[in-house]
Amino acid sequence: MKVLLVDDSGTMRTIQKRCLSKLGIEDVTEAEDGVQALELFQGGTFDIVLSDWNMPNMDGLQLLKEIRQRNKDIPVIMITTEAERARVVTAIQAGVSDYLVKPFTPDSLKSKLERWVTSNA
Amino acid sequence: MTSTTTGKSELTAEFVNPIISSTISVFEMMLGCTPKRTGLSLKADHLPEHELSAVIGISGKAAGTLVLSLSKSVGIGILDRLVGIATDEINDEVCDAVCELANMIAGSAKAQLEHLEASISIPNIITGKGHTVHYPSNVVPICIAFDSEIGTFTIEAGFSDR
Repeated sequence: MKVLLVDDSGTMRTIQKRCLSKLGIEDVTEAEDGVQALELFQGGTFDIVLSDWNMPNMDGLQLLKEIRQRNKDIPVIMITTEAERARVVTAIQAGVSDYLVKPFTPDSLKSKLERWVTSNA
Repeated sequence: MTSTTTGKSELTAEFVNPIISSTISVFEMMLGCTPKRTGLSLKADHLPEHELSAVIGISGKAAGTLVLSLSKSVGIGILDRLVGIATDEINDEVCDAVCELANMIAGSAKAQLEHLEASISIPNIITGKGHTVHYPSNVVPICIAFDSEIGTFTIEAGFSDR
């Protein structure tokens, strides 16, 4: 299981990496924004993308659209503070696979990731 | 410095309860502690209460600024509680952790005010005693004070109509 983890906050990447590690997922590639993530996505092979929404240079929504132009099947999970219904609908229309709103409890993050990493292992 | 002046901004007041509930929720979920609100006042100046400020701009039908203001020790406590990293100085990791917490508070508050169709900026950190924060002109910011297991902090905010 190869994970592309995209968040401009190193703190959030650390939290998510630890959660993935508890699920036995250690192959995690990190990106700080959408531009870096897209470069990594085009140059590598990943099984799942976890992405923040609000990031500098290229936000998570644009990244999602770019990924969907290249790959319609890879699971892309948004982990974001953007909780309004209109934002969630926008993300769904752009092809998001799942959505987790920050703040989250450790259990909610674990159960969300567990669902996707085990079904795609 | 705070004041008990009676001037008010209705739009800023609309944010008070969402900010309080969001702050409590974010601290509970991410830091495992429940902050208690200890004060609500109008600010007489644009000087944050503490030496470390995470500043977020909000745009949309409401435009303004939200600040998470805290001391060095609270910032260090946030990093420790979030990711278990101990430090004794304000470094990039502390700033990142504080920014992310402020981002969650602002995001959660704006989600409760969906009709304002607000967007939030990437947070910025300002440090140092006596620094100032900019709010829209003619807006009197509010200051919501909290106490928690890791220390005291404030959320300061001011908004105007677009």
